[in-house]
Amino acid sequence: MDLKFPADLKYAPTHEWVRMDGDMATVGISDYAQHKLGDIVYVELPVIGAVLEKGNAACEIESVKAVSELFMPLTGEIVETNGNIADNPAFLNSSPYGEGWIMKIKVSNPDEIKNLLSVEKYQEMIQKEED
Amino acid sequence: MEFITKEDLNGTKTPLYETHVKLGARMVNFAGWLMPVQYESILKEHETIRTLAGVFDISHMGEFIFEGPDVIPFLQYLMVNDLKLLEKSKGQYSCMCYENGTVVDDLVYYEESPERFRMIVNASNVEKDFQWINKQIGNFRVKVRDVSKERCRLAFQGPKSDDLIAPLVDTDLSTLNRFYFVFCNLCDVPAFIARTGYTGERGFEISFENKYAVTIWNAFMKTGAGAAGLGARDSLRLEACYCLYGHELTNSITPIEAGLNWLVKPKEGIDFIGKEVLIRQKKEGTSRILVGLNLLNRGIIRENYKLFKNGVEIGYVTSGGFSPTLKNTIGLALVETQYSSIGTEFDIEIRNKLLKAKVVPTPFYRNI
Repeated sequence: MDLKFPADLKYAPTHEWVRMDGDMATVGISDYAQHKLGDIVYVELPVIGAVLEKGNAACEIESVKAVSELFMPLTGEIVETNGNIADNPAFLNSSPYGEGWIMKIKVSNPDEIKNLLSVEKYQEMIQKEED
Repeated sequence: MEFITKEDLNGTKTPLYETHVKLGARMVNFAGWLMPVQYESILKEHETIRTLAGVFDISHMGEFIFEGPDVIPFLQYLMVNDLKLLEKSKGQYSCMCYENGTVVDDLVYYEESPERFRMIVNASNVEKDFQWINKQIGNFRVKVRDVSKERCRLAFQGPKSDDLIAPLVDTDLSTLNRFYFVFCNLCDVPAFIARTGYTGERGFEISFENKYAVTIWNAFMKTGAGAAGLGARDSLRLEACYCLYGHELTNSITPIEAGLNWLVKPKEGIDFIGKEVLIRQKKEGTSRILVGLNLLNRGIIRENYKLFKNGVEIGYVTSGGFSPTLKNTIGLALVETQYSSIGTEFDIEIRNKLLKAKVVPTPFYRNI
């Protein structure tokens, strides 16, 4: 596996990545997650305006073989979603950190950010999952 | 998201296990066998089969040899299809059923001579079938051998399969018609080659001794064909609307309900297991029937999702998924017969939401 994990991102143990910009968090799924899911054929976009707690399901992602839930990595309001992935769900496979981003959250509890994993801790965690 | 399931990697290995692992396949436990579900991408493998050709390891399937003077009358007694339509060097698809008409297994058998048949059965049913068959033998002068684990089986499928296999064989296969088979040399080793398949494309199903597996697999790969796993096998068969045991056919579904009316033959003067129920259903119809459907909303439907009409449950999805060829969501569903006509719309429940679906003609896609 030649998977990429950008060092400037934070990761949730549930395989979402987070890019912080002020109190706005851009969220997607990690390269590991897209690899595990296989070909993604449908993304049910999160509902804009929804206020959800960390760990709640934000949307569903369907691969050829199975359906998975995307969890909120942080508590907040969903303020924007990536409409391009509705027509091109394969962006989640081909560009999980770029064109395949899923949503932007206005974070309501910034203290939660420090509980996210650094790239090193996340890679350690998936290494353990694989062993 | 969560990836909770650890694959149970204690399973039987086909002779190509190491080959699949070297190719980077994702291995899964299917019916007790360690099988490749995908190499790189199910969508790519699907497309390779639809546009070029690819090879599947189907060594997990069962292979029985029937021998004896009563093979034909015995199979006439077990099977819903009519062996009078069969001839030497030809195969036939059929179901064997219980007395109540539900299905033990669906399978293909090939007439090598009037006293010797080869049968290919579903991986998940090998032991059940072998026991069921032996239990029915009674006074029929037939011996059945399970040669599944001695032999490797491959499916070589796709529109270019004829061109790509030609240099590997010592026999002209271009004139081999659908469901016929030959014994010939493939890569200089003896092989059984039938023009059958489960993809909706032209192609071959092949059986030979285990020891030749890697040589023959590599020879196919060198032709420029791709490797394809169980994931693509399932999406291809769904587009082509071939029943999969455990989904469209089970021990609680009859072939008539599964839309295989054409398969159950009257066989006048011949008794076969399940005949009474099946001939009655063939004449009078059934209260539920298999239909093909398209999802009208965006989303993916999967096995066991419930169907509703005006809030009343009317059936369930037997198989569903994204069609890589047609780029929409397709499915097969067992519905109350009054809601089975083309164009009928109903709702499908997907995790507490209702999405619209419509009955459409089947198959969704075939290129044969």
